[in-house]
Amino acid sequence: MQEDDPGAGLAAAVALRRLADRIEDSQVEQAMRAGWSWSDVAEVLGITRQAVHKKHAKRLIAAGVALRRR
Amino acid sequence: MTTKVNDVRAVLVRGARAEAVEEGSAAIEAEHVLLALTGLSGTTTARLLAEAGLTHETTRAALDREWEQSLAVAGVAVTIAELPKATPDRARSPQIGETTKLLLKRAMATATAAGGGRIGAAHLLVGALDSKLGRIPRALDLAGVDREALRAQAHQAAIRRDH
Repeated sequence: MQEDDPGAGLAAAVALRRLADRIEDSQVEQAMRAGWSWSDVAEVLGITRQAVHKKHAKRLIAAGVALRRR
Repeated sequence: MTTKVNDVRAVLVRGARAEAVEEGSAAIEAEHVLLALTGLSGTTTARLLAEAGLTHETTRAALDREWEQSLAVAGVAVTIAELPKATPDRARSPQIGETTKLLLKRAMATATAAGGGRIGAAHLLVGALDSKLGRIPRALDLAGVDREALRAQAHQAAIRRDH
């Protein structure tokens, strides 16, 4: 990281967040399509089952993913 | 028809919202407004953008390049086009993001300075180009766009109420 350009460093932080969000969305979808449970996905992400369900369930249902029971 | 297309609410609600949803973004950001403006076919605003080299496709590509370059600053080498995509939730309503609020504030300031009246697409473009910070100027610089010149043209169009 260049210490003389905080603008580039701040933009990098934004870019990393965007990347993490993009990967989380696609990989949660992939896991659920592969038949993972909400609990297993939550454990890997290090968040509660409720949190992962709240964040992704609606989108996955709309995408036609067959979800396992919570 | 043109007045409808140029209605700010239409740009925001239809265009920018659709861009944010398609991308899986939690919020409608300034870059989504810019993408929506490039898609207003037949309007002066979209023509000015296209003449500066900014079509919907090239703007999208420039934003992806900015993303890649900013990731590279942190030592992450990623080709955005190769990232797996999530299925977008088209029923979701993303909130208006902070960058869009700033864009709107600047668009309104431009309209007020020009004597008021309804805000149109050209005002939004001025608002999008009014900052040196954030993803839009970074992406446009990477694409070799003269932001100042484009801003001046958009400003002139806004004064003429030619959106």
